Amino acid sequence: MGSPHLVHALPGGAQLVTESMPERHSTSVVFMFGGGSRLEDDRLAGVSHFIEHLFFKGTTRRPSPKEIADAVEGVGGFINASTDKELTAYWTRVPSEHMALGLDVLFDIVTNSRLDPADIERERMVILEELRMYQDQPQDFVQNLFEELIWPDHPLGRDIAGTEDSVSKLTRDDILEFADAHYRLPNLVIGAAGALEDEDILAAVKSGLSLRSDLESDQPVLAPAPLEGPRVLVRRRDTEQAHICLGARAFSYLHPDRHAFDLFNTVLGEGMSSRLFLNIRERLGLAYDVHSFSQKHRDTGYLGVYIGVDPKKAAEAVNAVMAELRTLSETEVAPDDLARAKEFTKGRLRLELETTNGVAFWLTYQQLLLGQIKTIDEELALVDDVTAADVMRVAQEVLSGPIQMSVIGPFARDSAFRLAIGA
Amino acid sequence: MAGQAAVRIRRAIALVNSVADEAGDEEITPTEIAEAIRDCLELTEVDETSNVRRYLGEALDAVSDGMPADFVAMTLYAALGALREGASN
Repeated sequence: MGSPHLVHALPGGAQLVTESMPERHSTSVVFMFGGGSRLEDDRLAGVSHFIEHLFFKGTTRRPSPKEIADAVEGVGGFINASTDKELTAYWTRVPSEHMALGLDVLFDIVTNSRLDPADIERERMVILEELRMYQDQPQDFVQNLFEELIWPDHPLGRDIAGTEDSVSKLTRDDILEFADAHYRLPNLVIGAAGALEDEDILAAVKSGLSLRSDLESDQPVLAPAPLEGPRVLVRRRDTEQAHICLGARAFSYLHPDRHAFDLFNTVLGEGMSSRLFLNIRERLGLAYDVHSFSQKHRDTGYLGVYIGVDPKKAAEAVNAVMAELRTLSETEVAPDDLARAKEFTKGRLRLELETTNGVAFWLTYQQLLLGQIKTIDEELALVDDVTAADVMRVAQEVLSGPIQMSVIGPFARDSAFRLAIGA
Repeated sequence: MAGQAAVRIRRAIALVNSVADEAGDEEITPTEIAEAIRDCLELTEVDETSNVRRYLGEALDAVSDGMPADFVAMTLYAALGALREGASN
């Protein structure tokens, strides 16, 4: 079977990826720009996220947030955006006959934004509140602390929204300069999926391209320095529960073992049939919430485990998690467990791709970050190819790195935690 | 699980928990808790599994340093957990 998607090189270095899904009623369009918070130095921390918020405040043609929202919501559609560490995405999902309108609104917000000084000040207050809100949510904040440990003194280890200090000091000139440098055609991949005609969207996209097509220079992307050893960071708070994240650096999204790594993560701690859930919560009754998660970037990644636990049981739970990690690195996963993890992973991917939005994101993400697109069948085959020996080898490699652990809870010192991870 | 060591650690935990929960009429002193932990350390069993003696030592230090009872309890639970992990290997 041939690829269901088409890739077009556009004038100025942008790219368009389309997939026709004629049985659907909607079309989704994603504008994905390479960049994100990873390209920010300490002074500009949070500027990508700030810009993403500001683009919805008004354009020369649609001067208020309401007019932007009305344009899309007036036809029953959705519009939103997100900033990540290596990309920023703007997307819309509209009834197919309104594809041109959705595309027009996206072009409008990324090319004609007013960046009004009063809007900047108002949005600054919103973002500062957002940052403070995260600090009041220990289950989220502990993950931020964990990422600081995994990538110390590196933009990847910093909150995407920046810091209170940096956000407070960003000027309109900073914002304009960063947007001008990064919102350029060679950094842009547009993805579209749904009931669309390829020629129609190609023509509409070409007529809307007005961003700059030159790049000042190759943007230097610094790799994180190697970690020096295991570390524990305890933030004392009088919380009822202890919140703990522990883990180690792992693989990038370009690594040949990334599918084995995903299955390692699934067996370990994704879902209610995972090792962590069954052993730490169900068998030992040590934690209410325990799960694992991962993050993958161009040259690095991590595996993390979150534990929400009674403070008295915190170190015991950490020991039990470490024991599960060791087991996976010393013993091959049983065939039934591996088969279950594969079905879980494949099923989740297929469910993600049921919507036009899911397909548009999937295509755009691959083209922007990987430079090529695998079909779902090719991706599922790569998951099927993973063996139990692959999972064990990956577990060994991940656990050969120094363990990092962040803790929020009523703890006077960190000795018991350091002991648990050998720090 | 190693029998006698687990029993003694549980006894120490019960003492600490009664302080943490402010339960019971009788006041438990840090000296009594320290004594209970030393009782655990006297057993050779605690050397048969890695880290058990170190957790108990940390717990004893925490009592001497006047750390909150919850912290001492956590360290003792960790010792108990290490003993269990050792027994299951």
